Amino acid sequence: MSDLADAKKLLAEAIHADAATVPDGARIGGFERWDSLAHLRLILALEEIIGRRLDPDEAVEIESLQDVAALLTRPNAPR
Amino acid sequence: MMPARGRPVLLKTDRFELRSATPADASDRWLGWAKDPAIMGPLNMPVHAMRREELAAHIANVDNFMRYLVGIFEKAGGTQIGFFMIDVEPTHRYAIFNVAIGEKGWWGKGVVNEARAALLDHFFETRGIEKAIGLPLARNFPALFNYKAQGWRHEGTLRGQCLSATDGSRLDQYQFGMLRKDWRRLRAKGGPS
Repeated sequence: MSDLADAKKLLAEAIHADAATVPDGARIGGFERWDSLAHLRLILALEEIIGRRLDPDEAVEIESLQDVAALLTRPNAPR
Repeated sequence: MMPARGRPVLLKTDRFELRSATPADASDRWLGWAKDPAIMGPLNMPVHAMRREELAAHIANVDNFMRYLVGIFEKAGGTQIGFFMIDVEPTHRYAIFNVAIGEKGWWGKGVVNEARAALLDHFFETRGIEKAIGLPLARNFPALFNYKAQGWRHEGTLRGQCLSATDGSRLDQYQFGMLRKDWRRLRAKGGPS
């Protein structure tokens, strides 16, 4: 499974929906189901997967599904 | 000497009425929020068993000039669900926005950005404010989401900026900013709500 697919799965779980409903271009402010509580669930799930807390400068850069995928690609490398 | 008292805020959005709180708004509901770690924690405020008279006095001390305490009330039914505290720096024409949504059933339902959009319109267009600032804790991910969704700019990460109200550790904060000219530009383009 690609990192984008994994990211989609994470976001789908955060919004309590099927991954098929998450568009590849999902981003904050552009995908209605991605709300503030979903964002909380998404970040906590992401941290659990990569095994560490996100650095504040990493967390603030997460704006899109692609950004989540990038963190999954390089879980140990703060950007 | 008592500070000068400014004009109270009274605004309406699609779902909410926003108005300057008065001592009569000191309710058991509001007192309950002050005792709830899930509400106070993200604001880095200690839980506090406050008496109604204390809350009423706190509200009465707000001058609607340098500091605003604006309640968020459901239009349907009039129940208060949260509040904004806004601190104005008149010399430099900026205002620092803080918000708490006390009613958990409203979490994740876009309350903050709907209400804050109306407040930004109001403070920028009628109260001479030229910059709005938000200072959420770095671990307050719902707040982080809201600032980004509303188009605020991340202006910096303030490392170890404040002491935790619960365990004394140092906490990181973000600074988000919104200039009046940028807000007007966003509004002219039809967003954000």
